[in-house]
Amino acid sequence: MSERKNDEFISYELKEFKLFEPLFRWARKKSLWIVAFCTGCGGIEMPPLATARYDFERFGIMPNPAPRMGDLFLITGYVTPKTLKRIIITYEMMQDPKYVLAHGSCPINGGVYWDSYNVVKQLDKYIPIDVAIAGCMPRAEAVMQGIMDIIRKIENGEADGWKRYRENYEWYRKNQDELFGEGWREKDAKRWLAWL
Amino acid sequence: MFDWKLALEAIGMVIYATFMGFIFMGIERKAMARIQRRIGPPIYQPIIDTLKLLGKKESVSHGLIYDFGPVFALGASITALLFIPIANFQLFSSNADLIVVAYLLEVPMLGIMLGAMSSGNPYSALGVQRGLLTMVAMQLPYGLALIALIQHWGTFKLSNIVALQQVHGWSITVPALLLAFIVFDIVFQALLGLEPFDIVSAPAEISMGPMVEYGGKHAALLFTQHAVQLFAETAFFAVLFLGGASNLLELLVKQIAVLFIAIFVASIYPRFTIDQAAKFFWKWPTIIGIIAVLLTM
Ligand code: SF4
Repeated sequence: MSERKNDEFISYELKEFKLFEPLFRWARKKSLWIVAFCTGCGGIEMPPLATARYDFERFGIMPNPAPRMGDLFLITGYVTPKTLKRIIITYEMMQDPKYVLAHGSCPINGGVYWDSYNVVKQLDKYIPIDVAIAGCMPRAEAVMQGIMDIIRKIENGEADGWKRYRENYEWYRKNQDELFGEGWREKDAKRWLAWL
Repeated sequence: MFDWKLALEAIGMVIYATFMGFIFMGIERKAMARIQRRIGPPIYQPIIDTLKLLGKKESVSHGLIYDFGPVFALGASITALLFIPIANFQLFSSNADLIVVAYLLEVPMLGIMLGAMSSGNPYSALGVQRGLLTMVAMQLPYGLALIALIQHWGTFKLSNIVALQQVHGWSITVPALLLAFIVFDIVFQALLGLEPFDIVSAPAEISMGPMVEYGGKHAALLFTQHAVQLFAETAFFAVLFLGGASNLLELLVKQIAVLFIAIFVASIYPRFTIDQAAKFFWKWPTIIGIIAVLLTM
């Protein structure tokens, strides 16, 4: 987990399948599986979205507890350094292409915790965010709007957070190491994910 | 001489079964949504999901056994499918094909578990343990229901059972076999991994159980496997208890009827814990199964 070595992944970037890319893109926008990381206040907005009132399943969106299968990573509120470690590990466990949706003001600029000693002010420095929804707390309609934005971005091919993460990995890595200190992956992640 | 017609028929059957299996999965999700007063996804949603999983750019592998597990499961499902007489078509046939199909339908679970165990994820291990326990628990009522059926019709051959039912009326019109039907339906719920017995994959508890490490291409393969499996299991059910079918349309109606029973049961009942499930299986279904066997003696 610590380092993205090439031999850890089977690469399926097959040039022959470029032909099917529009089909896959259509499928991607129609079937977003959510890995909800319910930190902070936003987790409570998920039940109305999933149940009869707003029902996001009609767009093929499905809550999915396994990060390996997920596409859309919801970060629903403020992020402390402790949860950020988990967020980064989960994000790296998800498989490309993957999208991140940040709820509320807290992941954007700290929100009401702007002067807190223990809240990560700007999530975008640590993992790439595709769509951020402002508000404290955004209502379910706003979250729905955010998801629609993601769908639109996937359609246009603009939702490229996972590409940015690959290309600027050094930069993200530097920011993460500045916050947690060098070698935090080896220390913590190895303990949580002993089987990897 | 290579029989081209038969080969084409077999391939066509597998494609048809996969497609209908996906639609069945969609029906399952749609019906559940409607019961919960939601709109629900379109019924071709599982096909989209599978396409998306196929379109993933990377797929983590944990070694040869991990890759082999889904393939093994899919192979077993397809083999089971080709043993079942589906509307006058049956590729393989032997004197005891009922036993063969009954146990081939359980092999896929073993395949998934084989792959899941090799990933080393503790959630997978927990799911596998639960799955094996469920399988052990359901063997007894499953066996009893099949024994009652075999004793009544006096044959192990699926095509003979279908022919006999066409002459003497469906299995469920016989009182003893009605009891066997009830037992089989309870076991069926566990075979499909639906609600009272979805202990294996328990999404909110152990995050998908054996499937937790699968993603990308592997998960797409597992989805396809599930579709074929769903088709084969419903067809098996229809052949055993609902008099088989002489054409695909008739079979489809019966399969959907079977599926809806399963969906309704699944959407009403909450999940058992594993010890409750084992206790349950060894109590009521076993008692009813023994009565059914005694009545057919
Ligand atoms: S933005 Fe507001 S509602 Fe959301 S986590 Fe921050 S404080 Fe809570």
